[in-house]
Amino acid sequence: MKPNKVEQWIINSIFIVISLLCLIPFIILIASSMTSENSIIQNGYSLIPGEFSLESYKYLFQEPAMMIRAYGISIFVTLIGTLVSLIIMTMLAYPISRRDMPLRNGISFFIFFTMLFNGGLVPTYLMYTNIFGIKNSLFALLIPGLLVSAFFVILIRTFFTMNIPNEVIESAYMDGAGEFRIFARIVLPLSTPVLGAVGLFQLINYWNDWFNGLIYITDNKLYSIQVLLNTILLNAQYLLSNVNFVDDMGPAEEIPNNGLKMAIAVIGVIPILITYPFFQRYFAKGLTVGAVKG
Amino acid sequence: MTSWLSRLNLKKMKKYKTLYLMLIPGVIYLLINNYGPMFGVIIAFKDVNFAKGIMASDWVGLKNFEYLFKTTDAYIITRNTILYNLVFIVLNLVVALGLAILLNELKNKFLTRFYQSAILLPYLMSSVIIGYLVYSLLSMETGLINNTILPFLGREGVMWYNDPKYWPYILTLVKIWSTAGYLCIVYFAAVVGIDQEYYEAATLDGANKIQQIMKITIPLITPVIIIMTLLQIGRIFYSDFGLFYQVPLDSGVLMPTTNVIDTYVYRALLKNGDIGMSSAAGLYQSIVGFIIILISNYVVKKINPDNSLF
Amino acid sequence: MRNRVSVWFVIMALLSTLIAGCTGNSTPTVAVNEGEKGGTQTNDGKLPPYEVKLVFYGPAQKDLELVEQEMSKITLKKINATVKLERIEPAAWDQQTILMLTGNEQVDLIVTGNIEFSRQVAQGQLVPLDDLLQSHGQDILKAFQPEILDATKVDGKIYGIPSIRDFAANTNVMMRKDMLEKYGLDASSVKSLDDLDSILATIKKNEPNVTPLGKPSASAPIIDRVLETNWDVLGDYIGVLENLDSLKVVNMFETPEYEKLLKTVRRWYEAGYISKDAATSKDTAVDLIKANIGFGVIQKGKPGILAQTENRTNTKLEGVELGQQITSTTSITAIMLGIPTNSKDPTRAMMFLNLLNSDPDLINLIDWGVEGKNYVKVNDTQIDFPPGIDATNSGYNLRQGWMFGNQLLSHTWITDTPDLWTQMDKFNRESKKSAALGFFYNPAAVKTELAAITNVVRQYQSGLENGSLDPEINLPKFNAALRAAGIDKVIAEKQRQMNEWAAKK
Repeated sequence: MKPNKVEQWIINSIFIVISLLCLIPFIILIASSMTSENSIIQNGYSLIPGEFSLESYKYLFQEPAMMIRAYGISIFVTLIGTLVSLIIMTMLAYPISRRDMPLRNGISFFIFFTMLFNGGLVPTYLMYTNIFGIKNSLFALLIPGLLVSAFFVILIRTFFTMNIPNEVIESAYMDGAGEFRIFARIVLPLSTPVLGAVGLFQLINYWNDWFNGLIYITDNKLYSIQVLLNTILLNAQYLLSNVNFVDDMGPAEEIPNNGLKMAIAVIGVIPILITYPFFQRYFAKGLTVGAVKG
Repeated sequence: MTSWLSRLNLKKMKKYKTLYLMLIPGVIYLLINNYGPMFGVIIAFKDVNFAKGIMASDWVGLKNFEYLFKTTDAYIITRNTILYNLVFIVLNLVVALGLAILLNELKNKFLTRFYQSAILLPYLMSSVIIGYLVYSLLSMETGLINNTILPFLGREGVMWYNDPKYWPYILTLVKIWSTAGYLCIVYFAAVVGIDQEYYEAATLDGANKIQQIMKITIPLITPVIIIMTLLQIGRIFYSDFGLFYQVPLDSGVLMPTTNVIDTYVYRALLKNGDIGMSSAAGLYQSIVGFIIILISNYVVKKINPDNSLF
Repeated sequence: MRNRVSVWFVIMALLSTLIAGCTGNSTPTVAVNEGEKGGTQTNDGKLPPYEVKLVFYGPAQKDLELVEQEMSKITLKKINATVKLERIEPAAWDQQTILMLTGNEQVDLIVTGNIEFSRQVAQGQLVPLDDLLQSHGQDILKAFQPEILDATKVDGKIYGIPSIRDFAANTNVMMRKDMLEKYGLDASSVKSLDDLDSILATIKKNEPNVTPLGKPSASAPIIDRVLETNWDVLGDYIGVLENLDSLKVVNMFETPEYEKLLKTVRRWYEAGYISKDAATSKDTAVDLIKANIGFGVIQKGKPGILAQTENRTNTKLEGVELGQQITSTTSITAIMLGIPTNSKDPTRAMMFLNLLNSDPDLINLIDWGVEGKNYVKVNDTQIDFPPGIDATNSGYNLRQGWMFGNQLLSHTWITDTPDLWTQMDKFNRESKKSAALGFFYNPAAVKTELAAITNVVRQYQSGLENGSLDPEINLPKFNAALRAAGIDKVIAEKQRQMNEWAAKK
């Protein structure tokens, strides 16, 4: 299909406008993180720092060792978590994507039901700490709530059903391939787009999670970066809002409250932006069934 | 019962042995993570006394649910929750799908990736931050709109945070802005998987772009569209807490149009922290969603069993 | 994703449930007698060694262990016990304390107050202190006016010893001294809130970039402090004492005084003395003044507040006190030290607590750090950083003297007036005490109504009390909504509990 220049121009213009709408707030975010607190109070948030200052970052990086360690933990947990969860979820999605699979609907319901009904925090906490004893361990960052998401499983299942016709499976059987082989050699390669998408989503979920860290981890050597940042922020806000603290601060260090929030957000977002391009290549018009047939 | 058993052709099951085995890790996880803790649902029906523990606390029937209905706000929060969700589902679909299709049409790969990254950015920003950014626009004294744009157009500043009527539009815009880019990824992944042969054949038949989109692209990714919509419908009684609480900066005046079930529950239990009541709210939302999903799934099944959830 | 604070709340409530349920701890027996643990001797020589663990919250301090060691030197001599200061991150405080108490971790003294205090008492997690006070807490008894200590009683027993700090509060309007002088404004002419009008007007007219009146804290409206320093709010503002002498519970929002306050703040709003964004902004008056765009604030007054606020804003201020300071139960029970039932030697814990209320050396260690290293004396009573040390590199800059024992015994920092504590003591003793001192309210019976009421309050309060909503129209709406939500039932319940309590006194 020959590209139509006018068409391309129109589409590009639309996207330029949309991208600006998305980028400008982000630039404001970065700029505000590098603005002095006083300037933020006087002028609000703006595209260009009113008074350039790195005080928020300095406040955050008071203990570089802790930061680096937290980063390490986050990276490790995110990578392992994403990988393992993709494996388990695809293995869960594939069988129920096959129209000929017995009990398929029942299993789908079993999975879906977990999206709607939830026992609540306490029983879950009970389960994981008393019965499995994962408190203060890396497992607590990898497993609870994140490892398998019914939403993603059903999404993957849909893509499998949509993109892989029975004929392909049948012909593979005839070539003598076993189920797992079919799964690994045919189904997965044909599904790189959805795997890329879900992989990215899980990456974001793991990276952004501070919740598990907050309730299962008390040893601050195991803080992930989000937990660390949130602790710093919550402590700062606590200091600023507790009436007793406020009145008695004396010549204690000042906390750049507003700028701090922005700096934390920036630090949290940048790693994901850096990894996104890696996933984007999976969204290429890669293998399709036609290619396999041929 | 027996006919079900006889349908369980053992030979057939053996053939699928590997497939069943593949299910095991995931199923175990769901049992531990989701089904095990489900007994906690009884908290909604108890007056939990910390000293006695969950099991020994008194049963109080439906008392913990009262506060959700016994208030004049019940109608407002329910209406707000449902209406916003309906609008979000429809608009998000249209915008995300539209963006995905357009992106697919772009020839310059580098630009495609750049735009994709750009539109994902808003999703990565937390609602607290978005609240501040919106404030920098709408602040009544220092905001961009009141200070620069409106005077430029020769008009008076608007008391944005004092007037509830603007916020359905503001929140909808914010929601689309923050989520469309994320959802677009799913639809893009779907569009990208469509076999080029279809398009080539259609071009040979003389179909133009629009026709191709309507007749090929959309029909072929319908399963994804339906599933995504169904999944969101199941959550129709839940709201994005950050959007409705943080973005309006928890402004009381705006509550008539920004208070939803989740924020109402949060505010109600702020001073109280009663777990029975918060658990009751969660159960209420789950049950309604469940019923709605059962109905929707049934409808979809009638039309095309392939596209149903279960 | 759920909001983290609400999740906190749920976590803390739920965790206590689960652990109570799972460790099989039903109501623990709380009969603590000197005869059971340790020895009954008041003399140190025969006491077995022990480590008293004090759990508190605050930012990390590098020299915490050093302080601990110095404190232990003193306590070893006096009660043959060493001290362990266990610091918890403020952000993790709620969760950690629940886990510590409901588990079996040994904790001898814990910081507690108001909401968590009533919860801990209800769960039987704190030891009643009456007998221990008689036997080993004489200095504590001497340090308090009896009615103050009585105010902490729940069902007739004392479970927590408040730290000695500012129990009373009055309204204090603080304004920038330089601007007052520049325009020849006399702060002492202000005898009531209405008198502020002319001052605010002058500032507004001559300083266009300045917002004359700012908020006392990020979430408190402009007039918030006036409310709590004029009414005994009986814990949650829903149903307050009509006045400090009677035991009648009324709806504050329907009183003529409240209406007058709203009209005043509305007048200020319309005149431009208050930021139009006050209801949504998180900026406080201190933020504004520091950034040079603020002028004044209506704060909670206590001795030393002026100096401390000047410190935070780096500007000279002048304060005007309006009204006599009042003391209510809530302010007393805000920060206390309690002895958990987990303690293996409550007698020793009480001895330590007694020292915290009587031994100046001990107090100065925990309040200010090690003399010579963290602070130096500049004269008899005042102290300052040692040369070369300041707030950014000090090894011990906790500044939480208001949390521990008898603060009146400690040194004063150079930026405060030397007789700060004398003033503080006088301030407390001369305050007007509420007739309801000691009344503890239990809202369980009306929790359904309170849920709806809280939403109504959130809807109207911020706008009304920051002046952005017109009270003429909205106050009646507010009150109608409150009535529809059942506020009359709540007030009746509170009154009933009040009468019951009064009858037992």
